[in-house]
Amino acid sequence: MALDIDRYAHVDSSIQSWDPRLKIAALGFFVLSVAILKTLPMAISALIAAVIFHRISKLPRHFVMHGMMAAILFLLPFFIILPFTYPTQNQTELVEFSFGWEGFRLACLIFIKAIAIILTSFTIFGSSRFDVSMIALQRLKCPKMLTQMLLFTYRYTYTFLDDMKRMQTSMFARGFVPRANLITLKTYGNFVGTLLVRSFERTERIYHAMLSKGYQGEFHTLVTFKINRKDWLKFCLVVIVVVSLLSGEIFSGFTPAEKGWY
Amino acid sequence: MHISDGILSAPTLAVGFVGTVALAAVTMRKLDMEDIPKISVITAVFFVASLIKIPIGATSIHLILNGMVGVVLGWRAFPAIMLGLILQAILFGHGGITVIGVNAVMLGGGALLGFMVWQLRHRFQIKKRELVFAALAGATSVFSSGIILALALLTTGEAFWATAYYVLAAHVPIILIEAAVVGSSAVFLTKVKPEILAGQKDNPTSSS
Repeated sequence: MALDIDRYAHVDSSIQSWDPRLKIAALGFFVLSVAILKTLPMAISALIAAVIFHRISKLPRHFVMHGMMAAILFLLPFFIILPFTYPTQNQTELVEFSFGWEGFRLACLIFIKAIAIILTSFTIFGSSRFDVSMIALQRLKCPKMLTQMLLFTYRYTYTFLDDMKRMQTSMFARGFVPRANLITLKTYGNFVGTLLVRSFERTERIYHAMLSKGYQGEFHTLVTFKINRKDWLKFCLVVIVVVSLLSGEIFSGFTPAEKGWY
Repeated sequence: MHISDGILSAPTLAVGFVGTVALAAVTMRKLDMEDIPKISVITAVFFVASLIKIPIGATSIHLILNGMVGVVLGWRAFPAIMLGLILQAILFGHGGITVIGVNAVMLGGGALLGFMVWQLRHRFQIKKRELVFAALAGATSVFSSGIILALALLTTGEAFWATAYYVLAAHVPIILIEAAVVGSSAVFLTKVKPEILAGQKDNPTSSS
């Protein structure tokens, strides 16, 4: 399936060979610290670090671009809304509207941070098989119930996506044209209902089959993790990046994006 | 509907995570092993169904359906929505890892309120009560999610007040659309497979 997050998990790189537990912990730490940055120079440094992590992972660029486009479309309105709505005194008059540079800088900050974070999450979860990532999460004390459900949902999503496409094709073949009217909404209501019933009955059979094979709420796996010195070295490198980002934020005297470029 | 990475302030994000952990702890306490595949299935269905686009004028919006999750799963709607958001963040980079907390409180909280509205149908003896209360549940869920989203933006800073206002205004058509879709979906399920709906009186096994 074209959308699988782990479709390039076989690409060999030093991110891929990194122990998944340490990888998730270190890069997760990086992501959280990026989220709290407030100054533009540090946000740009974080983006550069994220790009470097991604280049090390050797994941193809078009693979991340797909997810990135959605985020970019979501974030673009901020470049329009924030500059014109930011409450400020010193504004540049721009075609009747008042353009606030503070708002524009804030939009830049948001955009850069979001791109850095999304890029890193693709690096984390694109570089190992999805089930391995989930087992790693479980070892990191993520509740077993949650990782189980994530695995199931992940598998089912693609099955149901195919189902939905088939149903839509048959709807259109019978002459259905979606419009902004009540009939469209009612049809989609029934569509969702049908999808639910079909999926439910189908997976009930799967569940019974699993029970008969002794399913007791957890999967057993042959995957074993081993941390060696290199894994710790990579972990320390990322931690150094995080610490320098955060100390740059606090001690370097850069002003927050709303007050100035640097 | 969700908020993206990089916008909200650290305190708001933290409040979101605390709220999510609390709600997840309460709603997941009653889960047993049998619920695991069931919740996963329904999460996957809604995940897929939210890709449906409804045309409005020149643009189109996609369904949110968190009210429907509440109507089908009851209290279990919260872990289901949290799950959907985590997957969305991991798979598509939609939303994002740091905002899972805020988004889960926003959409999952809405779903729980929707379920409460849906349960009120037992108190009324009117015709088409499934339609009426499911539609109300759909509307309530989206409305309350919109309010929580606006609150998250408001607490992040004065710069986002205008954005919060636009966000709320954009929710008005979505509320109407969701009400219609959730209402007709619930009527369909009442006829075809009523045991799938949450809190049915005549079928105690499916209530939560």
